[in-house]
Amino acid sequence: MMRNEGLERIQKMLREQGYITEPSIVMSVFLAMELRKPLLIEGPAGVGKTEIAKVMASALQTDLIRLQCYEGLDATHALYEWNYQQQLLHLKMAEDTGKTLEERERDIFSDKFLLKRPLLQAITHHKPPVLLIDEIDRADEEFESFLLEVLSDWQISIPEVGTVRATHIPQVIVTSNRVRELSEALRRRCLYLWIEYPGFEKELNIVRNKVPGIDERLAEQVCHFMQEVRKMRLEKVPGIAETLDWAMALSALHIEHLDKELVESTLGIILKDWQDIRHTQDSLSALFEKVGVVSKLDNL
Amino acid sequence: MELILRQTSLSANIVAFCRFLRQKGFTVGPQEESDALLALEKLAPFGAPDALQLCLKATLARTLPQQMLFDELYIQYWRELEKAVNSKSREGAPEQKAASGKGQEQPPRAQSIKNWLQGSHARDTEEMATYSTQEMAGRRDFSSFREEELWEVTRLIHRIARSLALRQSRRRKRSNRPLQLDLRRTLRLNMRRGGEILELAHFEPARNKQQIVLLCDVSKSMDLYSRFLIQFIYAFQNACRRIETFVFSTSLYRVTSQLRQRDFGTALSGLADAVPGWSGGTKIGESFHAFCKYYAGKLLNNRTIVIIMSDGWDTGNTELLAESMRIIQSKSAKVIWMNPLAGSTGFKPNTSGLKAAMPFIDIFAAAHNVESLRDLHRHLK
Repeated sequence: MMRNEGLERIQKMLREQGYITEPSIVMSVFLAMELRKPLLIEGPAGVGKTEIAKVMASALQTDLIRLQCYEGLDATHALYEWNYQQQLLHLKMAEDTGKTLEERERDIFSDKFLLKRPLLQAITHHKPPVLLIDEIDRADEEFESFLLEVLSDWQISIPEVGTVRATHIPQVIVTSNRVRELSEALRRRCLYLWIEYPGFEKELNIVRNKVPGIDERLAEQVCHFMQEVRKMRLEKVPGIAETLDWAMALSALHIEHLDKELVESTLGIILKDWQDIRHTQDSLSALFEKVGVVSKLDNL
Repeated sequence: MELILRQTSLSANIVAFCRFLRQKGFTVGPQEESDALLALEKLAPFGAPDALQLCLKATLARTLPQQMLFDELYIQYWRELEKAVNSKSREGAPEQKAASGKGQEQPPRAQSIKNWLQGSHARDTEEMATYSTQEMAGRRDFSSFREEELWEVTRLIHRIARSLALRQSRRRKRSNRPLQLDLRRTLRLNMRRGGEILELAHFEPARNKQQIVLLCDVSKSMDLYSRFLIQFIYAFQNACRRIETFVFSTSLYRVTSQLRQRDFGTALSGLADAVPGWSGGTKIGESFHAFCKYYAGKLLNNRTIVIIMSDGWDTGNTELLAESMRIIQSKSAKVIWMNPLAGSTGFKPNTSGLKAAMPFIDIFAAAHNVESLRDLHRHLK
């Protein structure tokens, strides 16, 4: 086990927020905070990548500013926009006040009409926030290079106003689902963390933690089942969120152990693809054999 | 940075370790080295060696393949270092300071690491090749994949097909979403209100509107490749609306609707039903002639790109092929011929079919591995 004050502090911090970790995550979070570098987190969907940013924000008692990336995301949506409608209205209203052209220009290009988008928000925040750039792989490559520029200079230039420098450098978390390869340049600017689906122990820990009051045996069976399901070739492999949903649902039904009928009727909670459900139903007996055998051994 | 100046034996070892990683194909530059050293400083009082390992892993391994490989290399490095140091101290040389370049009689396993400690830059290139599975998969010939690797490659192919299909053009089109202000149209729109600007018009980037016609050879000689190309076509067609797909061996079949299925398995069984001549002989000329006769007039125009995937092994009428190719080229914007065999060195397009078709091909490209499929976007512009 690690014995280092800094690491233990981080581990405690994450645990207090209900985030079950493993040493590699603790180390990466620690280093990202100490070296003030962006942390690039990759891994399959639903392993808690985004959650790390949320947990960090609440542990550091600061705000989380989130930039959700999507295809076609461009600089205006990440940085700032002028509120055109309001500017026009303002001009209209100021028509008869006899202000000079310069005064009017100054008016309409003031902070009041500037719509701050996440990146600008993050660097002008009153205290260093956690900036989450979610699913960067969905954005285009052009946006990625643009982002690099912001992440290294920490300043944004707005032609009408001038250059805005960062008041604080935010703690940046970048997540990616590996829909496409990220550029080498971005990788080199960040620390890298890969999160895999949790192992049995960790998943059980998470279930116990997030679904208090769940029957101990049920929790174990659910986790075993999920571990086995993930080994199958599925279109959409269920993540931790699905495990928790399922565990919560079963716990709310006051179920004490899994049986075939029950699993069949609740499969929709963990599998979100019709093909996957059919595929799993076909091999349910085999799955049960694996899960069942293990839980029997545990009970001995 | 001050840590670099203070050359402790640990930091010297870290630098040597970075060089070791670099030799193994890691992209470790001065930036990463200084990251690692700074990180160690922050971590200063170590309790356990595994903290050192985790710390170096977090700072030095920056892709998934590197992360997978790191632990093994780490262990290898320190084990060999230990050996090297032990043998040094046995010889009576000062410990840690390994700069004095002697000791050629060490066992060969320790040699590579010792070379590094002594600053010799002998490369063992065989080991470099193994680090990046993804890169490897990209360059390998399709015909060399084993059954169990198909899944990974398939996913890679789907990803490329999708990104190809969704490429944006520089043009812009009108949009109701407030994305970017279209000044020109805004002014025009409000002209009728006496110049009072009430309505705002916006635009958004236009998606590529290219029409694509795919002609894929599924004859026996293409067997090793067509299972990948079909995957590619399937994914491509599902991401991109305006695409028509035909397969041919001895005759031509239109399979656009069969491929338009949410599930690849269903699509494949639909294909098998629709195409009786799968893995048969090849009659490219007759097939293309049928295409010209029945579809060319309807499907081809000056914005259509025709992609042909075939090795050009033809047992049919080559004159007919040349004539059909001439018609296809004259009616479409571009003809791209992708040949799986063109990836091998020493390839010459001298099959009879290919010779006949060559004058009417705008772009002749390879299609033997994932990388070559990715290159397709250059030709689609």
